[in-house]
Amino acid sequence: MSGDITPQPSADEDVQRATTDARMGGGTDDRFNSPLRQALGTSPFILTKFDRFMNWVRGSSMFMLQFGIACCSLEMMHTYAVKHDLDRFGAGVPRASPRQADVIIIPGTIVSKFAPRMKRVYDQMPEPKFVVNMGSCSISGGPFQEGYNVVKGAEEVIPVDIHVPGCPPRPEALVYGVAKLQDQVRAGESSPVVVKPYELEKFGDLERDELVDRLAERIDEDDLVMRYNWADSP
Amino acid sequence: MSVTEPLTDTETGELDYDAIFEILGDHIIDRESHVHTEAAVVRPDEVQSTLRILREDAGFDHLSCVVSQEYRDRFESVYYLKTYDDPTQEFGVVVPTSRDEPKSQTATGVYETAGWHEREAYDLVGIEYEGHPDLRRILLPESWMGHPLGLDYDQDRPQIVEYREHENPLEGHVEEGETMFINIGPHHPATHGVLHLRVVLDGEQVADLDPDLGYLHRCEEQCCQSGTYRHQIMPYPDRWDYASAGILNEWAYARTAENLADLDVPEYAQILRTMSAELCRICSHMLALGTFCLDIYGDFTAIFMYAMRDRERVQNILEELTGQRMMFNYFRLGGVVWDIPEPRQEFFDLVWDFLDELPAAIDEYHDLITTNEVFQTRTVNTGILEPDVAKQYGCTGPVARASGIDYDLRRDDPYGYYEELDWEVITEDGCDNYSRLLVRMQEVEESAKIIEQCIELLEEWPEDEREIQSNVPRTLKPDPDTETYRAVEGAKGELGIYIRSDGTDKPARFKIRSPCYHNLSVLPEIAEGEYVADMIASLGSLDIILGEVDR
Amino acid sequence: MGGGVAAVVFPDLIDEWTGLSEFGLGGEFVAAFIAAFVIGNLMMIMTALAGPWAKRKITAAFTDRIAVNRVGPYGLLIIPADAVRLLSKELIVPDGVDRPAWDLGPLIVASSALLGFAFIPFGSGVHLADPETGLIWVFAIASIASVGLVMCGYASNNKYSLLGGLRAVAQNVAYEIPLILTGISVVIFVGSLQMSEIVAAQSQELISIAGVSIPMWFAILNPFAFVLFLAANFAEIGRNPFDTPEAPTEIIAGYQTEYSSVYFVLIYLGEFLHIFLGAAIIATIFLGGPAGPVLPGIVWFLIKLWAVFLLTQWIRSAMPRFRIDQVLVFGWKLLLVGAFLNLILTAVIVGVIT
Repeated sequence: MSGDITPQPSADEDVQRATTDARMGGGTDDRFNSPLRQALGTSPFILTKFDRFMNWVRGSSMFMLQFGIACCSLEMMHTYAVKHDLDRFGAGVPRASPRQADVIIIPGTIVSKFAPRMKRVYDQMPEPKFVVNMGSCSISGGPFQEGYNVVKGAEEVIPVDIHVPGCPPRPEALVYGVAKLQDQVRAGESSPVVVKPYELEKFGDLERDELVDRLAERIDEDDLVMRYNWADSP
Repeated sequence: MSVTEPLTDTETGELDYDAIFEILGDHIIDRESHVHTEAAVVRPDEVQSTLRILREDAGFDHLSCVVSQEYRDRFESVYYLKTYDDPTQEFGVVVPTSRDEPKSQTATGVYETAGWHEREAYDLVGIEYEGHPDLRRILLPESWMGHPLGLDYDQDRPQIVEYREHENPLEGHVEEGETMFINIGPHHPATHGVLHLRVVLDGEQVADLDPDLGYLHRCEEQCCQSGTYRHQIMPYPDRWDYASAGILNEWAYARTAENLADLDVPEYAQILRTMSAELCRICSHMLALGTFCLDIYGDFTAIFMYAMRDRERVQNILEELTGQRMMFNYFRLGGVVWDIPEPRQEFFDLVWDFLDELPAAIDEYHDLITTNEVFQTRTVNTGILEPDVAKQYGCTGPVARASGIDYDLRRDDPYGYYEELDWEVITEDGCDNYSRLLVRMQEVEESAKIIEQCIELLEEWPEDEREIQSNVPRTLKPDPDTETYRAVEGAKGELGIYIRSDGTDKPARFKIRSPCYHNLSVLPEIAEGEYVADMIASLGSLDIILGEVDR
Repeated sequence: MGGGVAAVVFPDLIDEWTGLSEFGLGGEFVAAFIAAFVIGNLMMIMTALAGPWAKRKITAAFTDRIAVNRVGPYGLLIIPADAVRLLSKELIVPDGVDRPAWDLGPLIVASSALLGFAFIPFGSGVHLADPETGLIWVFAIASIASVGLVMCGYASNNKYSLLGGLRAVAQNVAYEIPLILTGISVVIFVGSLQMSEIVAAQSQELISIAGVSIPMWFAILNPFAFVLFLAANFAEIGRNPFDTPEAPTEIIAGYQTEYSSVYFVLIYLGEFLHIFLGAAIIATIFLGGPAGPVLPGIVWFLIKLWAVFLLTQWIRSAMPRFRIDQVLVFGWKLLLVGAFLNLILTAVIVGVIT
């Protein structure tokens, strides 16, 4: 009978692979592919070492975007400040300009009017960039999920690497979240970029429907807009 | 004030409503009685004349709140008036309009503060105010379809939100010189959250300023309207003014609901409420101090960090008491959720340690900030807010008190245990950014005094009389069509709640009168003509919390 | 007036050590190149130490924190990590930037500061060039940075950058004059613009108290000029309380708002190099240059540089920022008058003595 039982380790491996596939979108990991690497083969020694070094670099030092939205931003400030001192991890330099930041912590509720602006700020950051979702509002809308104006989580708009739950999460939790993100980056994993349900589009490109027709007089064809289909939201 | 005297009953000192109705004469079509005051029903085209009489002849110089709501048969705007001298003198003006054509005269000519109130009413409920100088949506995007607090609003309809680079509103209107339009916010290090200021600069000076709100409009009123009185609403107030002033906000709801359902609060619980609320006030003022200095100093430097350090200490105390660092959820209708944690002495020691070290910390702040000459050149005589303007815009709290308006609901409209304690209302006459900072710093000291007295009382309170909760029915169902508006002194000023019940266990209309909203509405007045840097400093000194502005 | 007796400069020393001079002009060129390379790298190392690490540690010390301590000993490995990460980031070129100017701006900011060190006597013979007009050279080159800043600000196609760039220029113009006037008061004492002469003049004994000889540093001789120069210098390099050009809470990051990756590194580098260049000028003309007991000259010089750097960080932690109009009023109405006063008084005193 014992022969029929699948050995436990391989099941674990399956789970692990499934997790990796789910995270990476399956197949080979070609996010760091370069012409040089293609010329030299799949995993040449020097470039592997170099990749590992770059991952260590990106995981060890991070500039945060100075980005406050709601309640969680206070706990975020406490995380930067005296007692918790996120800078110990090399992640405590808040930069006001998105051009110079690596990590955006999203500390609060995203509402319909803010989502396009947040998307724009995210787009302004240079690659490689990482996103930490802080608090239940940016995970799912939190206590305000039923609201007519509340986007059900930041992941509807931009890709997210780490979720830190809580309302608001304690500074310790955020420190843990950032440390986890650093581990993830050092290990060479980061979330795949997928198409989000809410994107910035040109108004002229939208499908003509009743709503678009009614707004047509007010909005310029070239203006960027974000269209919310609330009924389809989770 | 001489004009108010004939309206006050000489024996009881209470407002003589009959006298007011007499003054108004023909304007009234009906009388209404709300739980906290009497109200006159007037026609929608006589709003301004009625309010002007009330303002000029009856002395109501403070438009405290404007509530708008939709009934099955009509729309209604309610204007709640108060006086800055004695906020217990209240009066309501009810303006019903037809459902087919919801148009009502604006009150902006009489009270400037009505401007933003009515924009909000237009935005969320859909009443149009005729004669309003600037009737645009304020919280929701311009392109929004429908009015979400109306009765027939379908929440599942798709919406489109535009993202446009705004045009310079002054282009072509300025005779000389060239102006530059600049968006400050919604993502900007100095807007304290997600405020968007549309600024037109003339060189370095602000020529025109238009605050654009709604980047944190989380539908708090809708959320509260869909929660039950007893338990489901209380968590939301914590998230209005989230600068750890949660308990002060909870008190606003608790006071209104207790007034509505006629509930008592045991004395012991009142002391606990007073103590915890004042701890919150210290926490909130520390943040105001830290971020204001952040605006002036420019980096996350010493003052900011020290303020955070002191906040951390208060938060530890509050965490011991309530179990949470920020979102306390500590009050219940008719009391508080739990007593001081055992062993009590440890908690008292924690508070005593904090209180003992607070004077030294405040001295340090004075050393670093207020006595610094560079700081003084930056803040003294900048961002002037004249008392008249402050009253017109409905400013309250430290902002009003720094303009010499002696208005503090803790003393003037007493609640909790404040009446029994010995403390002062702080006012300053400077009207500038510096005074606003000074008021906050001195209020921290006053709060410490209040906490000290509360702790002394709590230490000696007999063990068998520690009643933290009065008897409250499991489900609260106030009588249909009961209306009340009650306010408390929040960290930023007069935080009022209006509730109308419809006989169920959920409110039919829940309206928040946010002090930050009105303090912010005065920003164009104080910042236009100033330098950008002073505009930023003034914004910091108004101490807005976007969660409370946008709700 | 003191003659132009050229002291032995660093390239000559390298010539001697290596015998490169035998190869004629080419050899001299190589020697000069090696000397420049050494000094350039020395400054780069100091900046690398100061930018990602020392600045954070010093600020943390002033604000009761620890700052980086996880990456390597005392968090020192944050230096390569920060540097490589910043360099490896995506370089975003925003729409509508004015291309050649936008690219050249950061280069000018960084290189102008680096070039200034050519005339600074580090002591122990490390002195790249010692022309008779040394002091003027340093001031002239350091102020090229203003051009870089206005290029950054103007070319970025960003209103915040524009404001920052204009503020930087207004401020630099206002403070350049008192800075140089105060510097000239030292020149009047020495009678020469040559850096080595200025250092030599300060090595004389001013007064001897109980056997301890106090050298004739101009900071001691004329503390008024020293304070004036410090203030003007902080404004010139845009440090608190005069950091209006990049005031983060007002105009995001000023002229550097749109720069990412390599260009941001260049600007960041330029900023720190300018702090050090300012410190080097202060050390040379007011603090006796590389003079000091026991330790070799270059060590003393570096200690003095870091002392000034520490002072800038200290002020950054403790002082509020002026408003731009106050900065200008302070510069034109106070510092300029003070500088003229100082200049005239010095001239009269020196005239009377000699």
